[in-house]
Amino acid sequence: MELAWYALLGAFFATYLVLGGYDYGVGLLLARRTDPARRRAALNAVGPFFLGNEVWLVAAVGLLFGAFPLLEGELLAGLYPAVVGALAGVILVTVGVQLRSRPAGDRARATWDRVVVVGSLLAALGWGAVLAGMLQGVPLHADGHVAGVSHLFTPFVAAAGLAVVALVAAHGATFLALRLPAADAEPTARTARRLVPVALAAVGTAAVLGLLSDRVRAAVQRPAVGVLLLGLLVAALLAARVALARRRPGLAFAATAIALAVPVALVGATLWPYALVSTVDAGASLTVADAAASGPTLRLLGWLTVPLLPALLGFQAMCWWVFRGRTDGRAPVYW
Amino acid sequence: MDTLLLARLQFATTTSIHFLFVVVTLGLVTLLVGLQTAWVLTDKPAYERLTRFWGQLYVINYVLGIATGIVMEFQFGLNWSGLSRYVGNVFGAPLAIETLVAFFLESTFLGMWIFGWHRLRRGVHLALLYGVAITAYASAFWIMVANSWLQNPVGYEVRDGIAHLTDFTALLTNPSLGMALGHVIAAALLVGGMLMAAVSAGHLLRRTPDFALHRTALRIGLVTAALSITMVQGFGFAQFGPVGEVQPTKFGGGPGADALVAEWTARFGLGDYTPPVLASVGLGFMILIGFSLGTLWLLLPLLWRDWIIRLRFPLWLLLFALPLPFVAAILGWIAREVGRQPWVAYGLLPTDQAVSGVGPGVMLASLIGFTLLLGTLAVTNWVLMARHAARGAADPALGRRPEHPPADPRPEPAFA
Ligand code: HDD
Ligand code: HEM
Ligand code: HEM
Repeated sequence: MELAWYALLGAFFATYLVLGGYDYGVGLLLARRTDPARRRAALNAVGPFFLGNEVWLVAAVGLLFGAFPLLEGELLAGLYPAVVGALAGVILVTVGVQLRSRPAGDRARATWDRVVVVGSLLAALGWGAVLAGMLQGVPLHADGHVAGVSHLFTPFVAAAGLAVVALVAAHGATFLALRLPAADAEPTARTARRLVPVALAAVGTAAVLGLLSDRVRAAVQRPAVGVLLLGLLVAALLAARVALARRRPGLAFAATAIALAVPVALVGATLWPYALVSTVDAGASLTVADAAASGPTLRLLGWLTVPLLPALLGFQAMCWWVFRGRTDGRAPVYW
Repeated sequence: MDTLLLARLQFATTTSIHFLFVVVTLGLVTLLVGLQTAWVLTDKPAYERLTRFWGQLYVINYVLGIATGIVMEFQFGLNWSGLSRYVGNVFGAPLAIETLVAFFLESTFLGMWIFGWHRLRRGVHLALLYGVAITAYASAFWIMVANSWLQNPVGYEVRDGIAHLTDFTALLTNPSLGMALGHVIAAALLVGGMLMAAVSAGHLLRRTPDFALHRTALRIGLVTAALSITMVQGFGFAQFGPVGEVQPTKFGGGPGADALVAEWTARFGLGDYTPPVLASVGLGFMILIGFSLGTLWLLLPLLWRDWIIRLRFPLWLLLFALPLPFVAAILGWIAREVGRQPWVAYGLLPTDQAVSGVGPGVMLASLIGFTLLLGTLAVTNWVLMARHAARGAADPALGRRPEHPPADPRPEPAFA
């Protein structure tokens, strides 16, 4: 029962990283696109999906609160700076993308675009730090509270944050290669091809630092699963590189999407049966079963979620279907 | 400064900012549904232009509704981890339902509505707006279910020091829910109507060339506002009964309140169980504003033969009265939320046990950071909204035909 809910929570958060990830990737790439028309084209490629992407985060946090109230409190409060950083990033991107085209002047637009770049950076760094923070454990005390915030500032967390930034940038460039009109897609595909090795290097650095960290080794319950999933991550990136070289942006996008979803699975699966491992008191670690809401609450949510999920996925699929294919002159321009 | 006070201040600031945008969302989406339905049914270009113009303002407002809403959602875990620990089993359920039932679909629909002009069939496009409106109301319903549970915890039992859900229907039939929900929705309609009337009044005062369009909007807005202020008053007074019953300490003392305080003193120890005076001050001023806005009815007869426009001063009145409903809404929430102190969940969980264990330094940084961030964004958003409102309905970006590329950079409006 708890496993199903934990998997669902992971699925929502992973989907958010995949979908929101390309928003942030496109946001980061705005820094390199100096021509206003090209910036606009990039944002317009994200256009109709933008609002529907970010809401996966809102739903994931709602599920976290409803199904794992104890975890929500300790996780968010225990990783305070990382969560606040990610949150600030999410807000800046949300507001920046939607408001950038409202002022008429080019100067104001360029300022908003910088807001989007900074926001994307913060969001990717923040979520990477949150995942890494879970993997290295938090000083959870027997009274159920996490003390302090300094535990978060380790080389591993920094490297993991940067790795997610690199992953997101590669993913965003691949998305643009898939969505932009064929003529503009070619240079973007080249950018994506160059970004994939960067992402590989960043992931490799984070993995090495993780293996060297005592805290990670102590927190991880199933190292074999971790190594396996890390292998999957690397394989996905290699596949993306090959697909990009062969001009198959669809396949490449699927591969970078997997690369962004895997870290969530990795954290969840390697820590299982724990959700949050304590670095100070083994007895205080929070298992998934302990963190879950009690039976009646889960049953209530189950009755609601099971019939609702097809509708949620159906309307998202409708959005992808209606706006499928490359953008062209017929696409309404709004942001 | 202790963590508790800072966390409360942060909650109060961010929720108040959130609510300023949410009332506009709820009010305007209702009016938009009417406008777009009229357009699809009658095929009159005036309704299409009104839908685009007001739709554009609605979408600009919505941006900060989402941004501040996300902060609200995270804040429970960040700053109030005690809340999720002790009452999360019950309180978390309506919030989870809200995100899945309401927000998820609302945003998905809205994205398709914004980009679906000229691309989707008209019926489908209209259906999307209905979807946005229905889910917006659903979100108001579920958040009020959650809030009413904090006001008056029901349908739970405490085992091992933690609340467990026993009866979900009790949450839905909570006496502190019904009238409050009606009051909030009526307040949102009032805000939406007054906003529409005030913006149109501004254009008419400038002797806009778009006279007919803004005259129609002025009428729609004013009638909506007048009808809803009466509902606001009705639901508002109707709240005193049920709320006074379940929260005897809220509206001043009395034998019921004394008995409850004695009981709490026995169970939780000595303490100050009367809410701060701020609550009743807020209540008083809100009711004052509520009665003043009742005079909106006096403007309705002036719609006859456009006297309201010819006399001009009623238009100025509408323009200057615009901040009042916003102020009243915040005061109302202060009355409700401060009035339940010192409890997070009335009679169940004291506020000081709900706050997270983070240090005051971190909390202060977060308070200042979020207040500055959201405050700046809110002001910027209003400036942009005001500019778009002033620019008029000539050519909003929303719903512009793709074959008419945006006149970027747009010509400055004649009167901005
Ligand atoms: C446009 C805004 C607005 C206006 C003009 C009024 N109210 Fe209000 N009021 C609200 C907006 C609001 C609100 C923001 O929507 C609140 C906060 C919580 C709630 O349920 O509604 C509220 C709360 C609220 C409460 C507190 C309920 C509680 O503590 O649980 C009472 C008793 C009233 N109202 C009564 C009135 C009366 C008698 C009014 C006028 C004659 C009035 N309100 C005008
Ligand atoms: C949207 C309009 C709202 C406004 C303007 C508002 C305002 C406030 C204020 C002023 C406080 C601080 C009270 C004090 O400690 O002095 C507060 C606290 C709080 N409110 Fe609200 N509130 C709103 C809606 C809600 C809703 C819908 C919920 C529930 C889902 C909620 C839950 C809380 C909680 C948990 C606290 C912290 C605990 C406390 O100090 O009482 N509020 N709010
Ligand atoms: C009575 C008080 C409240 C009402 C009526 C309300 C209603 C709404 C509505 C209609 C929206 C849609 C977006 C928009 O308006 O711009 C929204 C957004 C949001 N609200 Fe509130 N809200 C209230 C208070 C709260 C509180 C206390 C929370 C905290 C849990 C919250 C969480 C959110 C979130 C997460 C969003 C963003 C959803 C999205 O991405 O579309 N709201 N709220």
